[in-house]
Amino acid sequence: MAAIIETHELKKDYGKHQAVRGLNLSVQAGSVCAFLGQNGAGKSSTIKMLLGMVHPTSGAGRVFGHNIDNEKESLLIRQRVAFVAEDKRLYDYMTVEQIVRFTRSFFPHWNHDLEHRLLDQFELPPDRKVRQLSKGMRTKLALLLGFARGCELLILDEPTEGLDPVAIEDVLQIVVSLAAQGTTVFFSSHQIAEVEQVADHVLMIDRGKLVLDAPMDQVKEQYRQILAVFPEPVEARDFHLPGIETVRTEGRTVSLVASHNVDSIVEHVRMLRAGSIDVVPLSLKEIFLGKVRARP
Amino acid sequence: MKMLYYKAWIETRVRFIAGLIAATIICVYNIQQHAWLTAMWAGELANPHGFHMSWMPLGIHEYGWYLWHYLFDNYLQQVWSLFAVLFAFGGLIRERSSGTVLFSLGLPVSRRRWLFTRLAVALIESVALSLFAVIVVLIGSAVIHQTFSLPQMLLHTALMIAAGIFIIAFGNLCYTLFPGNYLSLLLTLVLLGVPYLLLQTYMQHLRYLGKTNWLAYFDFAHAMAGPWQLTWSTTPWITLLIIWALTAILLRVTLTYGDRFDY
Repeated sequence: MAAIIETHELKKDYGKHQAVRGLNLSVQAGSVCAFLGQNGAGKSSTIKMLLGMVHPTSGAGRVFGHNIDNEKESLLIRQRVAFVAEDKRLYDYMTVEQIVRFTRSFFPHWNHDLEHRLLDQFELPPDRKVRQLSKGMRTKLALLLGFARGCELLILDEPTEGLDPVAIEDVLQIVVSLAAQGTTVFFSSHQIAEVEQVADHVLMIDRGKLVLDAPMDQVKEQYRQILAVFPEPVEARDFHLPGIETVRTEGRTVSLVASHNVDSIVEHVRMLRAGSIDVVPLSLKEIFLGKVRARP
Repeated sequence: MKMLYYKAWIETRVRFIAGLIAATIICVYNIQQHAWLTAMWAGELANPHGFHMSWMPLGIHEYGWYLWHYLFDNYLQQVWSLFAVLFAFGGLIRERSSGTVLFSLGLPVSRRRWLFTRLAVALIESVALSLFAVIVVLIGSAVIHQTFSLPQMLLHTALMIAAGIFIIAFGNLCYTLFPGNYLSLLLTLVLLGVPYLLLQTYMQHLRYLGKTNWLAYFDFAHAMAGPWQLTWSTTPWITLLIIWALTAILLRVTLTYGDRFDY
């Protein structure tokens, strides 16, 4: 598969603050790629750089092979990308019908069937002004305006924020169905359960750097928590082995998160005379927390 | 791309209608005042101890001069300038404050296209406003049984617009440079309006006294008004060229700054 999004040592500084610090990522065509990170980790800055809204301080990025830091090429990128921003603010002086008509005019492959279906499904009144819509309705409208563009790449920044559980389920179903039709989806979210439900690839970013880049299946298969109890108290420095992501010790008990090399790690723990060793699978949420908490 | 114009129109249509109302009030009021003012000036001139100014005979006998003086050299020009600034108010920087800029920039439209659309709509509305004023003057003058040279009025309108594009460009630069929703508008009005009005008043006073000084070079208002009888040779071409050059510089700065701005 070809990479649709690629960045190389991408950096963004806002004054002295480094929002993105040498990001190297790649999103393959046809994938549903989740982009995870805490608030302020650099997700939105990265997305804005990909779409030419923010200029990189250094490094390079390409979307569909086009340079993200060139205004003309950025225009070509945005012809093929549907973007829904985190804060889903729309022109509040327009009616639903007006803003749909406005947005539709820029996209020759606009999906009229999907537009009509979503207007019904989301119960969006065409003649109501955007300013008169509830937050949830505005989010639905913003998503409709993204989904119906008929673009090859869908970039969603916190797509389900502000939605009720039923609407969240609807949105995730639409994402899955668009992905099944060949649309590449790149989305950031704090809702790990949603990510697990739809994503087939995970990127995790922490303080502007990529800390995980792996297929979802691989993450679920390879990441393990190893719990061991020792006869004597142990120290974290005893567990510096390849594959160990985080180490937490509490007296005689040790909790390790391993990304790979699990058998060797278990063997090492056994050699340290652990009384009991349990190896358990990890949820994506636990992996995420392990990654963002494991700070030097 | 016509939807961009549609959006800019929706955003400015209330201001445009307000401009039409303001221009109507200014034109109707000054037309209605004509008979009273000319009678008063005639009275002053007839009185040896009255207030005598060199322009009074012109004001009494030339309705065209009266219209030029009160509309193009004063109130209509001021109202037009104010609304030209208001029509240009907006754009991506303002959208950043209102939170819609990411939606706009997510569309396949270049930043320059956004800017030029906004400027084009402001210019079209400004032209429409001035032509509307001409229509009001035509109707109003017919009502008071006065005649004037329509070509002269159209020439003055064209001059006001030709010089006035500087105001639109200046306003747009201010809206780009100064963040904040209405702060930028306020700053623009202060930065542009105060020197414009002070200089206009001061230079008019000097002209009535038959004097001038180096500040005349900066009398933008007079450049917009031109002489009351406008011909090819009396058109202030050099001033216009300077204004257009300055306008081009302002647009260049706006474009450069806007291209590099992080949203």
